Amino acid sequence: MVTAMDTQTPSSTTPRGGVAVPALTPRSVAPTDGAAGDVVIRAEQLTIRYGTFPAVRDVSLEIPAAQVTAIIGPSGCGKSTLLRAINRMNDFVPKASVQGRLFYRGANVYGPECDPVDLRRRIGMVFQKPNPFPKSVYHNVAWGARINGYRGDIEELVEQSLRRAALWDEVKDKLHESAYALSGGQQQRLCIARAIALHPDVLLMDEPCSALDPIATARIEDLIDQLKSQYTVALVTHNMQQAARVSDRTAFMYMGELVEVGPTSLIFTTPRNKRTQDYITGRFG
Amino acid sequence: MTAHFVDLLDELRRRSLRMASLVEDILHEACDSVFSSDDGLARRVVARDNDVDREEVAVETEVIRLLALYQPVGSDLRLLCTALKVNNDLERIADCAVNIAERARHLQIESLPQQAELVRQMGPIVRRMLRAAVQSYGTQDVAGANKVFADEEIVDALYGQLVRSVVAEASRLMQEMASSLDVLSVAKNLERIADHTTNIAEDVIFLCTGEIVRHRPR
Repeated sequence: MVTAMDTQTPSSTTPRGGVAVPALTPRSVAPTDGAAGDVVIRAEQLTIRYGTFPAVRDVSLEIPAAQVTAIIGPSGCGKSTLLRAINRMNDFVPKASVQGRLFYRGANVYGPECDPVDLRRRIGMVFQKPNPFPKSVYHNVAWGARINGYRGDIEELVEQSLRRAALWDEVKDKLHESAYALSGGQQQRLCIARAIALHPDVLLMDEPCSALDPIATARIEDLIDQLKSQYTVALVTHNMQQAARVSDRTAFMYMGELVEVGPTSLIFTTPRNKRTQDYITGRFG
Repeated sequence: MTAHFVDLLDELRRRSLRMASLVEDILHEACDSVFSSDDGLARRVVARDNDVDREEVAVETEVIRLLALYQPVGSDLRLLCTALKVNNDLERIADCAVNIAERARHLQIESLPQQAELVRQMGPIVRRMLRAAVQSYGTQDVAGANKVFADEEIVDALYGQLVRSVVAEASRLMQEMASSLDVLSVAKNLERIADHTTNIAEDVIFLCTGEIVRHRPR
């Protein structure tokens, strides 16, 4: 059961970094201006069940603006479920239910006033395996903006998005070739460009490098580092070194519970909880 | 692979502690050499320092190898960083012990009874400090490491007393200038060893708690 809560009135529709935000529907969840450190996502005693099985248990977590928050933990610990709850991707999972509260910039994500389609426009997602559309590079980026009624210069939007995804130089001469002709790493950056084209406020990344080789992984990690100046990033990863390299904060989950969260530099040097210590040092998991 | 890494860490820790034990022996012999007429004792200290130097390089090489291959985090990372720093301090302590032994070969300590007494007091305290620091390193014991700091103040006080006594007796000690300089050098090296030992104790606190306590007033 989802608990209702008052929705904050937005003070602006332009998040930090000067990124323009498309017009919002009256039912939308709108962002406010956010400086680094402001809380963008806040989970309060969040429990997510698949049927009767609680995949996420009583999790309270804050994700601050303009930072990368990594969520780590062994397989089945609930980290992807938690990530997917943030933009309501679990709505597509039969028998998934949510208890507790989840806020995006103060607005109740599971409240009746939230339009999930609009929410997903604000909170984009990049998946484990690159999943470009069976279209050209150009149309992969332009498609989302087009169906959302974008009235600006689409070509400029495509170029800007591909540049932000550090892909423009590699594809500018083959914009109208199939996205499937790109390498795995390029396809993943194309998916990031596609998400960026909608001017999201938050980017959720669910193991975005797990299908990539080390060089492509390094490119994506560099990209994440650049993206955080404009977007709030939540990253689920199995790769602890990656979490240590790219994130500002790290949350460790185990068996559905949030065990510990804190600055990455502390979590990977002096974790307070023995279970975190045992996991990061490979003693279990 | 994880179990293998844990074994490698354990082996490194044992190796580092064996080196510490060797340095403790060398310091013991160096202190004895000051009051002994046995020249062989001092020469043995110099020779054993070569073993310490070899071990220092071996431990450092292994730490770098483990960092590069396993990219450890948390307590494993702290252990490797601590091993590297303790390794350096142990090697410097052995160097100080060699300095003491080399001075001891020429020092006529009996001609300086007042200073000899002060050095006689300093030696066991410095050895006790090193023992406590090494033990706390081996058992990862913060309370044990904290005990080291109080002794450092005693060593500093004794060293200050010795310097003042040499200055006060300067005119009388003109005849014993060489011995005076030697005894000052011995005392200075003991004082340096005490400093290195407190470094080890500080590193043990970092190893156990992640807290860097250097440069803090105690």
